[in-house]
Amino acid sequence: MASARRVAVTGLGLVNPFGGDLADFFGRMLRGESAIRLFTREDKTTRPLAVPAVRCASFDAEAALGRSLPFTMDRYSQLGATAALSAWSDAGLPRTKDAPRNDWGVSWGTALGGTLTFESGYMDLLRNGRDRVPPLSVVLGMSNAAASHISIQLGLGASSTTYTVACASSAIAIGEVLSKLRSGEATLMVVGGSEAPLSYGIVRAWEAMRVLAGGDETSAARACRPFNSDRQGLVLGEGAGAMVLEDWDHAVRRGARIYAEFAGYGNTSDHDHLVRPSVEGQIRAMRMAILDGGLTPDEIDYINAHGTATREGDPIEIAAIRGVFGSRSEAVAVSATKSMHGHMLGATGVIEAIITVMSLASQEAPPTAHLDAVDRDCTGVRHITGGPLRGSLRAALSNSFAFGGSNSVLAFRAAH
Amino acid sequence: MKQDYLTLLREFLHKRENIDPARVTPEASLEELKVDSLLLLELLFEFEDKLGVTIPQGVTPPKTVGDLLAIVDGLKVGKDA
Repeated sequence: MASARRVAVTGLGLVNPFGGDLADFFGRMLRGESAIRLFTREDKTTRPLAVPAVRCASFDAEAALGRSLPFTMDRYSQLGATAALSAWSDAGLPRTKDAPRNDWGVSWGTALGGTLTFESGYMDLLRNGRDRVPPLSVVLGMSNAAASHISIQLGLGASSTTYTVACASSAIAIGEVLSKLRSGEATLMVVGGSEAPLSYGIVRAWEAMRVLAGGDETSAARACRPFNSDRQGLVLGEGAGAMVLEDWDHAVRRGARIYAEFAGYGNTSDHDHLVRPSVEGQIRAMRMAILDGGLTPDEIDYINAHGTATREGDPIEIAAIRGVFGSRSEAVAVSATKSMHGHMLGATGVIEAIITVMSLASQEAPPTAHLDAVDRDCTGVRHITGGPLRGSLRAALSNSFAFGGSNSVLAFRAAH
Repeated sequence: MKQDYLTLLREFLHKRENIDPARVTPEASLEELKVDSLLLLELLFEFEDKLGVTIPQGVTPPKTVGDLLAIVDGLKVGKDA
């Protein structure tokens, strides 16, 4: 352990496609319920779009944030600010907008930022023949907008930083504050990420990479099947998640509920290939997180896998897990919850970290949905299938591996 | 004509910020109505869009509703002439 100062997870919040609260979302994860539906989009000038995806269809920005604020936000910021306010409230913290704290801050992740704003602007200029875009286009679209809004709304003066590291964005946003909290540079940090990626151009770009799972109205819910022999790719999703992390003693002094300890962080680069992951790079990241957390591999009882359901990625992650845990790997429970909530790109790391923390807090871990025929290249670990795993969960990892070769692993320890 | 601009302004501020139209009078201070620099940008854009005018880059920032209406009125009159 790098320091005696420990870090507590004291607040959790999210905006999720089921539309309910954290307890509702986690319950559905435990039951293996998929939020994936067929997403369609059609207008007069673009070709119809129909792909399995995850949308927060019932999200009402005005109800969540009031009338004025949503006008100054891209959807990714609306989702993010709502999740952050929810985590803040969950942590039992008062709104400090008028009493700012300069030792509290925000660290956020997004892969695409305000891509919907930019697409709308390009449509106006290039398709609709206009010669200008709305005046807030820059401040809506910028990738640090969500963090800025969260900082303003909650009076967070320590720092406001944004990480854009593709699919590991929010995991890295979480991990990078650990040293700040351990050193005492900050006492409390709001961390997380948000993504609203379902623009026409972004979906077409992912289609062009040939990694999106196909499906129709009937089959969409089962489109994402990590580790399954017939898996066919990932499903894009929108959403947001936030956590309140704070100095352990600070949390105890104010009588906060502690969900789990944020124990360790590993961050490595494959330095090899833009999209082909590396077993070695992932092994180093997992080992680093375990060591950083003062843990041993024997204490890890659950891994929330990156598990996107691509043909190439899943076997590499399983090989990396086997590399870290050796002969014990068959005892390490693994699940890939993207099978239910999809791949929220920059937000997916925090959503999965929240699921990991909830698993430790409740001593129940969710299954990989639709996993009925484990691929022979994905064997050698204890896949959770059919329903939740109930039992003694001492510590857990949340894996996030990004295009570009950035690997981030978060280690959590049960609070009790 | 100024009355039409005032109506447009009142409708915008009511929709956008839930500001009571009765408060939006020519004498009212934009600062007191909480029209900050970003909201002013949106307002100018709205006037340009609805009236088909172009408000120059270097225009003196208005302090009151009346100042804002005068800027727009001047441009509109110029265009109509």
